[in-house]
Amino acid sequence: MTTLLEVKNVSKQFGKDTKALSNVTFSVKEGEFVSVIGPSGAGKSTLLRCINRMVDASSGEIIFDDAYVHQLNKKELKKVRTKIGMIFQHYNLVNRLSVIENTLHGRLGYKSTLAGALGLYSEDEKLQAARILQILGLEEQIYKRSDQLSGGQKQRVGIARALIQDPKLLLCDEPIASLDPNSSKIIMDHLRNICTSMGITVVVNLHQVDVALKYSDRIIGVNSGKVVFDGTAKSITSNDIHQIYGSDEGKLIFDLGGSHVS
Amino acid sequence: MQAEGPIKTFSLQTDKFLDNQLRERLSKKPFSKSSIAIRTCGLLLIFLTIYAFISFDYKDVNFIDALLLTLDNLGKMFFEPHLKHFSFSHALFQVLVTLGLAFLTTIFGAIIALLLGLLAAENISSKPLSVVIKGTVALIRAVPTVLWVLIFAVAAGLGSVAAVIGMTFHSISYLVKAYSESFEELDKGAIEALQASGANWWQIVFQAVIPSSITYMVSWTFLRFEINFAVAVAMGAAAGAGGIGFDMFMASGFYFDLREIGAITYFILIVAICLEIFATRIKKKLKVLS
Repeated sequence: MTTLLEVKNVSKQFGKDTKALSNVTFSVKEGEFVSVIGPSGAGKSTLLRCINRMVDASSGEIIFDDAYVHQLNKKELKKVRTKIGMIFQHYNLVNRLSVIENTLHGRLGYKSTLAGALGLYSEDEKLQAARILQILGLEEQIYKRSDQLSGGQKQRVGIARALIQDPKLLLCDEPIASLDPNSSKIIMDHLRNICTSMGITVVVNLHQVDVALKYSDRIIGVNSGKVVFDGTAKSITSNDIHQIYGSDEGKLIFDLGGSHVS
Repeated sequence: MQAEGPIKTFSLQTDKFLDNQLRERLSKKPFSKSSIAIRTCGLLLIFLTIYAFISFDYKDVNFIDALLLTLDNLGKMFFEPHLKHFSFSHALFQVLVTLGLAFLTTIFGAIIALLLGLLAAENISSKPLSVVIKGTVALIRAVPTVLWVLIFAVAAGLGSVAAVIGMTFHSISYLVKAYSESFEELDKGAIEALQASGANWWQIVFQAVIPSSITYMVSWTFLRFEINFAVAVAMGAAAGAGGIGFDMFMASGFYFDLREIGAITYFILIVAICLEIFATRIKKKLKVLS
């Protein structure tokens, strides 16, 4: 498998003395499902946003699909971004628009300014949107306004919007943090399915250790802006997890391979 | 922080000793700076009002007579309205002219304010540009519309041209503030999501920003239309911009015809009420949609 994404020595400084990331290095292979875990405020979101430069890294290199993301100009960056789908904790849909309109927003990066601004999409694009929505189980909701959907449905629209971009990489910023267990499972199943059957690489920020262990091929543990663990989900030990969260033994609630860790 | 004791149980029995303790606590209402300031201001205003009425120079006007005459004039205006110097259809046409003036200036204002509003909203523009536009617009807004019309009258001559330019000018400044504030209330996430997918500025504006804030924009624009109607009436008289305001000026300042003024007032009142009803309906519909 070839390497799709390489993050080399990336640091990010906010203001004078808040260091969100320091010398983060890792690489992601094509078709991999990677989870980033770590305590709140460890820099997980910043790390994810550095990859598509929603946040500019202070130093370091990011290489995505043979493009040096940190060196690109505005126009080239937009082109790279069309190949990176992003999913958010709060879904980030335009509430007043319908499900299909929100889905089609994923095509904007490919369209001319005028066609995009006026919302002129081709028949093919609409059909593709409908296809994706059907796979995600939203075919009944196509013309519903997105604020009439449940949280889980909104997140599936978010996934549809990312998928219609025809991306190589999906960045998911805590996709299930505001969802109930049932919807969470549906979303994670979809993400896993996208990774396995479509070969799209997925990098996901998670708070739920058990979910991360269950779904991912690889886990990256982040604490105070540093990578403290990088390995397969199978090889992780409870000791590693305690180290990631910087907690004392016996103070976390999670399951590791069916046995309760205490 | 004070250490909290164990949780007390609620009982309905009254305890005299405890009640007295609580009463004492209630009576110790703290005196704050603001309450003192408010009381001093109130007393000062009462004193000034009384002093002003005592020190007025009433000349030979008898208060009762004056009051009766005023009421008589008002009665003539509103109970015996008539049209003498022009016909009903002429009045109707002039009301339409005034409405047209209000409509034109609102539309001009709205179109220009949309662009400036986008540039003045901090979340979709840059901070320095936003500050510059908002500052300029605040300055323009601080000067009343009538003054702007008179200022433009220097170049355009007193009349409809000056009125249109002046009213548009003030409408722009008002709507830029209203629009940019509704844009700024927009959820940051939606913009972020579109940026992350590679969409450009115009696409984000038309696909996320405007659809999200269209209800606010419509209701602000309509409010400005109502304001512009009132201003357009005044402009007819003050700047010779034509319309029903000019007829009113003629009826009062030229013919001294109270009854005709009454009739014109009724005309304006009816139009204003119609606008109000229409605006409420639109807002209701938008609320259902949002």
